[in-house]
Amino acid sequence: MLGFLTARQAGLDDPLRLRRAESTRRVLSLTLNPDRDVDRVHGNGVNAIDIDAVEGRYMLSGGADGVIVIYDLENFSGKPQYTCKAVCTVGRSSRHVHKFSVETVQWYPYDTGMFVSSSFDKTMKVWDTETLKPAEVFEFEDNVYSHHLSPIARKHSLIAVGTKNPKIQLCDLKSGSRIHVLQGHRAEVLAVRWSPRYEHILATASADSKVKVWDVRRASGSVLTLDQHNGDKSKASSEAVNTAHNGRVNGLCFTGDGLHLLTTGTDDRMRLWNSATGENTLVNYGKVCNESRKRLQFTVSRGCSPEFVFVPCGSSVAVYALHTGELVTMLRGHYNNVDCCEFHTDYQELYSGGKDCNILAWVPILRTADVEEESNSAPTRAVGQASVNPAFQDAWSSDED
Amino acid sequence: MESSQRDRLSVLVEELTTSGQPQLNQDKMKEIKKICKVSNDCLDHVYHSVMSQLSQEHAEVRLSAFQIATELFTRSHHFRMLLVDNFQEFLELTVETDSEQPLPPPKQVARKLRSLAIQTVQSWQASYGTAYKKLALGYHFLKQVKKVDFQDAEARTVAERRRIEERQRRMETIYKERVEAASRDMDESYQEIQSTLTEMESCMSLLLPEFNLTDNLTTSSSPSNIQPADDCPSAGEQPCCSKDVRDDWREGMIQEREEGLEEKKRNPEEKRGKEEKGMTGEKRIHREEIKEKEVKESSEDEIREDNERREEKGKKKTQKGEDKKVQMVTTQREGMEEEEDCEEEEEENSEEEEDADEEDLFIRNSGLISHSYSLDLNISPGLQVKETEDNEAVVSTVIDLHKLIKTKHLPAVHGWVQVFTKSGAEEQLLRRALDLKQSLEAALQKHKELHIDYRTRIRKVMKASSGGEEDSSDDSDDFDEVPEKEGYEPHIPEHLRAEYGLDPSPSTSAFTKNTPAKRPTAPPVSSSSARRLKQLADEVQDPTCAAATLLRLRQNLPPPTDPSCSSSAPSSQQPSSDQKAADAPVVPFGLDLYYWGQEQPNAGKIVKSASQHQFWFHAEGDVEVENKELLAESKSRYISFPGRFIPVSHYCRAPLDNGSLCQRQDRLKCPFHGRVIPRDDEGRPIRQEDQLREERRKREQQPDWRDAELMRDIEAATGEDLGSDRVHKKGKGKKKKFPNLSDVKQTANTARSRLEKKVFNKSTVRRVAQVMSKADGRKHEKFSNQFNYALN
Repeated sequence: MLGFLTARQAGLDDPLRLRRAESTRRVLSLTLNPDRDVDRVHGNGVNAIDIDAVEGRYMLSGGADGVIVIYDLENFSGKPQYTCKAVCTVGRSSRHVHKFSVETVQWYPYDTGMFVSSSFDKTMKVWDTETLKPAEVFEFEDNVYSHHLSPIARKHSLIAVGTKNPKIQLCDLKSGSRIHVLQGHRAEVLAVRWSPRYEHILATASADSKVKVWDVRRASGSVLTLDQHNGDKSKASSEAVNTAHNGRVNGLCFTGDGLHLLTTGTDDRMRLWNSATGENTLVNYGKVCNESRKRLQFTVSRGCSPEFVFVPCGSSVAVYALHTGELVTMLRGHYNNVDCCEFHTDYQELYSGGKDCNILAWVPILRTADVEEESNSAPTRAVGQASVNPAFQDAWSSDED
Repeated sequence: MESSQRDRLSVLVEELTTSGQPQLNQDKMKEIKKICKVSNDCLDHVYHSVMSQLSQEHAEVRLSAFQIATELFTRSHHFRMLLVDNFQEFLELTVETDSEQPLPPPKQVARKLRSLAIQTVQSWQASYGTAYKKLALGYHFLKQVKKVDFQDAEARTVAERRRIEERQRRMETIYKERVEAASRDMDESYQEIQSTLTEMESCMSLLLPEFNLTDNLTTSSSPSNIQPADDCPSAGEQPCCSKDVRDDWREGMIQEREEGLEEKKRNPEEKRGKEEKGMTGEKRIHREEIKEKEVKESSEDEIREDNERREEKGKKKTQKGEDKKVQMVTTQREGMEEEEDCEEEEEENSEEEEDADEEDLFIRNSGLISHSYSLDLNISPGLQVKETEDNEAVVSTVIDLHKLIKTKHLPAVHGWVQVFTKSGAEEQLLRRALDLKQSLEAALQKHKELHIDYRTRIRKVMKASSGGEEDSSDDSDDFDEVPEKEGYEPHIPEHLRAEYGLDPSPSTSAFTKNTPAKRPTAPPVSSSSARRLKQLADEVQDPTCAAATLLRLRQNLPPPTDPSCSSSAPSSQQPSSDQKAADAPVVPFGLDLYYWGQEQPNAGKIVKSASQHQFWFHAEGDVEVENKELLAESKSRYISFPGRFIPVSHYCRAPLDNGSLCQRQDRLKCPFHGRVIPRDDEGRPIRQEDQLREERRKREQQPDWRDAELMRDIEAATGEDLGSDRVHKKGKGKKKKFPNLSDVKQTANTARSRLEKKVFNKSTVRRVAQVMSKADGRKHEKFSNQFNYALN
């Protein structure tokens, strides 16, 4: 750390290097921090969370009971102890609340004045954050599993919607209508994701075990269909041709630079694909437990030197190194299945929501200040620790001697 | 950390968790704490061993492990860190947060573990919740997601509570219905049961009247001059006939009682003189009994006496003509060996003797002839009702009632009581049911005490109006008087007997004079096969058959008065002729018998014709050929004599593993223990060579280095364990590892599991499958030409 600082001071290093090193260190030290709490508002499982890209201050969460909550993540109190307060809530009492489970929530990428939510009540709502009223409601024939707004789009404002219907709907925010349908899947579409690199590129994952990459300017068909065997026909059985997984594909995530695509499936596998060529990079992440029948929201870190993947795995969040597939750690804290997690790029924090109604904040531990005097280090540390919290003291009674 | 500490900790944790006790052993716990205090490594080790014990599929193990964890949790920060870090798993294993991982059996302990864990988590949350985030999260998870009510003593989740309530409600309605049904039933059958009870009561009182001797005596055929003595049991007139009896047995025993001695010296002659007056033995018995009764003044004896008298009446007739010398072995005599009995009775006797003097006079008047009388008396203890012709109807009613009570009323009442007690019905109903039960049981008990001696029930044969002495009164009232049966012949000529379905008995008189006891067994028949006998027995059962009529007649014939034709005479002669008939071989008729003692004209000659045709060849071509075999066959015959089947009386008697002896009765060779050889009481062979052979065989079963003694020697020399103590225990089943834990598998022994064991038995399944496939195959064979059968 000091080396990085001096190198930075001397101008020997790219500023990015220090940043990367430090953020990597912070990601590696993620832990469930007693100092950071998130208000318990949800009375039911949390299906989706999203952190706004503009300020990184507000977090949206959608619950299985249709409730949508907005949290303020910024800590202005100056104390380490902070509880993320719920700023506003679309509660059950609201007239506009989703009737059934909210599956996806997303901020409008350029402004926190608007967000979009989709639900199993076959609607997708575009909300005005100020009034907490839907500005637009898109209705569909089937349950909506997932939707996504392109984070970089400047030439279009399309929302891709995956429903129980194999056809992918494209809704235009400008006109407020469904303008397009992408056909090609044979089963319900569980996840849709726009590329963060090319604004017209869309990836979709379906229960027919296929992942397709579309260019929305060319609606006749998909550009790519990801094949887990990379076209090696000898390995694939006839029906497994052009499949990304051997089960339902329910998770989809681009890396920050958009060069790679990650998919998860109910075959307990996670795969990393080259998004340009559609090639399976064959990174082995081992078994990634995944029993969800719905969309699984997972995320990738940004700005670290080896990037990390945070993927819900049963009741914990597994952290993998992106390109080596090495399991870095398991973040254990939820008491039930974890459904979603979101990485806060600015602070290297991770937020995860699960079926146990909790949203947990995983915060890097601050490095404890090194004590300069070596002489009386041991007793003072013990005392210091004890003074922090009396509960940390050991309580051996003397009669056991 | 030293390995010794580690080992010690492992041992302690295992001991604590497998103790099966609801509370931990404090000494061991203290030791654990003492070791753990030393370093965090020890805590790590304890933590891991506790967690591994927590994941055992046994609630008792888990409970103990949980208790260890609680003890350490409050002590050590490090342990808290470890445990809270893995709090999900901990909750899954103790509070059952995952419905797919229920707590293991036994259920009772699991419930206790659960409630204890929930309480503990609450207390932890109170004291450490702020410091340990995951603990707080876990607490909130329990509280909000699992909806555990921490105030609830039972510590149940909402769903559980609802389920229990629902079940309770359901049970209540079921119970209500059952109670209603039961009370309705009870109301309906109350009358019936009551009437049954009264009927039973009256039947019993009929069988055992309180004391009405006179009733019985009126029917007795005893001489009238004795009757008064029997009739009035007043002390003054009592003849003391048991005195001589007593004297008799006293002569045999050590004479220690002086009074008795004196008495005896005073009046032996007198008594003997008196008793020669011609009283029958039976009469004396009665008197003696009466005397006893007087002494004891109990009604039971009266009853017994009544019954006995009834029996005696029958006997008297047959024994009258017999010698007057009757063997007398009284119960008193039997009890002589026991001092107490002796003394008691002697006291009685001495009492008797006191009034004996007064009765001397009477005895002299009715003196008896013989000097030494010995009477055979069987006085069974308690009541004894014997079924006779008089009380037959009553007894049969009693039997019916008894059956009714036992099979119908009592089970029903039991059921009601059960229903009422289970459902907590009104006390009144329960009391009523209990009363009923009590009275029914009392009736049964009374019936049991009666010791009714049932005659073997045969199918009731037709009541012939033969005018028997006793049974004419009530039984025949139900039947109309009918004229004599058509074709009824009191005497059937000898040649017609078979035709009538009767045994062709040569001397009818002998059979008719048989005692009733011998009647049911049909007299041996000289030339009739077993089948015929059976047929005959059937006919006797059939009231429409002549044989039955005859039987009935025989039964009702007056007993023989002539001593000369007593039952013994014909029966002794008959067996000899029967014997002969049985011994003679029955051979099929043959040519040799036909020509017995004659020369056979053309024995062994066969007419051989060249052709079988009738008219293409003329008869002259016949050639006679002599056949040696045929000749021999027609002159002699072989009678194979297989000998007689002798049942095997010896046992194999080889010692078995369970300590008993083999009970197989093979003639020569036991399939398990080889040749049957003579063995002593402990199953060892008696003969030397057998012993040697046995020894050899035993040694062959094991290689000689496995010999336990040899191995023990080697072990002692080398100090290494070769497992000498396992040699003989091999295959005897695994010893239970932790004897203190309650057996989880044992609870699986339910009716369902037992049935499952039978039904899903491999061999059963195979058999069933075989049968089914066979049936299928048959169908296939039959209808294979029809396509829909041919296909499957």
